[in-house]
Amino acid sequence: MNLLLESIVANGLIFDAFGVIGLGLLALAALRLVKNDHSWGGSMMGYGAVALLVARLYILLAPHFVTNDFLAAIGPVGISLTMALPPILLTFGLAGVVWGLWGHEKWLKERY
Amino acid sequence: MDCALFPPLASIDAARPVFMIVMGVFLMVIAWRMARETTGWSARLLVGGAFLLCIGYAILIPMYEAGKIERYFPGAHLHSPSTALGWHAVKLVVMNAGWLVFGLGLRLHAGLFRSIAPRKITKAQTITIHESAA
Repeated sequence: MNLLLESIVANGLIFDAFGVIGLGLLALAALRLVKNDHSWGGSMMGYGAVALLVARLYILLAPHFVTNDFLAAIGPVGISLTMALPPILLTFGLAGVVWGLWGHEKWLKERY
Repeated sequence: MDCALFPPLASIDAARPVFMIVMGVFLMVIAWRMARETTGWSARLLVGGAFLLCIGYAILIPMYEAGKIERYFPGAHLHSPSTALGWHAVKLVVMNAGWLVFGLGLRLHAGLFRSIAPRKITKAQTITIHESAA
């Protein structure tokens, strides 16, 4: 196998960590925008980034703790929630980030 | 074009991929509009991150959902393992680097690690007021 490809696939966890760090930075920066500049887009961006972060962390960590015992403990409603919630969070998180960025851009235009 | 492979764009199954395409393109356009009037590293990083995310959300994820690319995971029986692995690596790099670069750009834009205002040094009160004991 190509050495570059092999190193990328083998270090998948590092890349996932980059993504998580990026989303964390995005959430903190959005919080800063809300706090300092009172930009309404910032809060929407923050909610979106947190939703994406939660879903991504769940997808990364789920193989380590979701076992048959765990699934039996949470019951059918819990199982359907674990299947339904990550795509919903990913979809609405992305929408939140995009909507928030649009709002912030509009707010910047009005201000300057 | 073979219509059987692509789900019709308005169907329920296609709602999520189409939403992803619209969001990816919209993100890119907004980042470009924001960066048009500013210069410096924050604008470059914002546009770079949005471009990577646009590739990921508007091209890669819909192709995965349409079944054009096989999903790679360890132990999978794949038609073409090397192609699936290559696309997996591309997805891994594009999506994660996209969020990282976009987050760094917004961090610079918001001035996350810059202190808000120089802290005022308050002088300790040296003169104490004594009440007269008389």
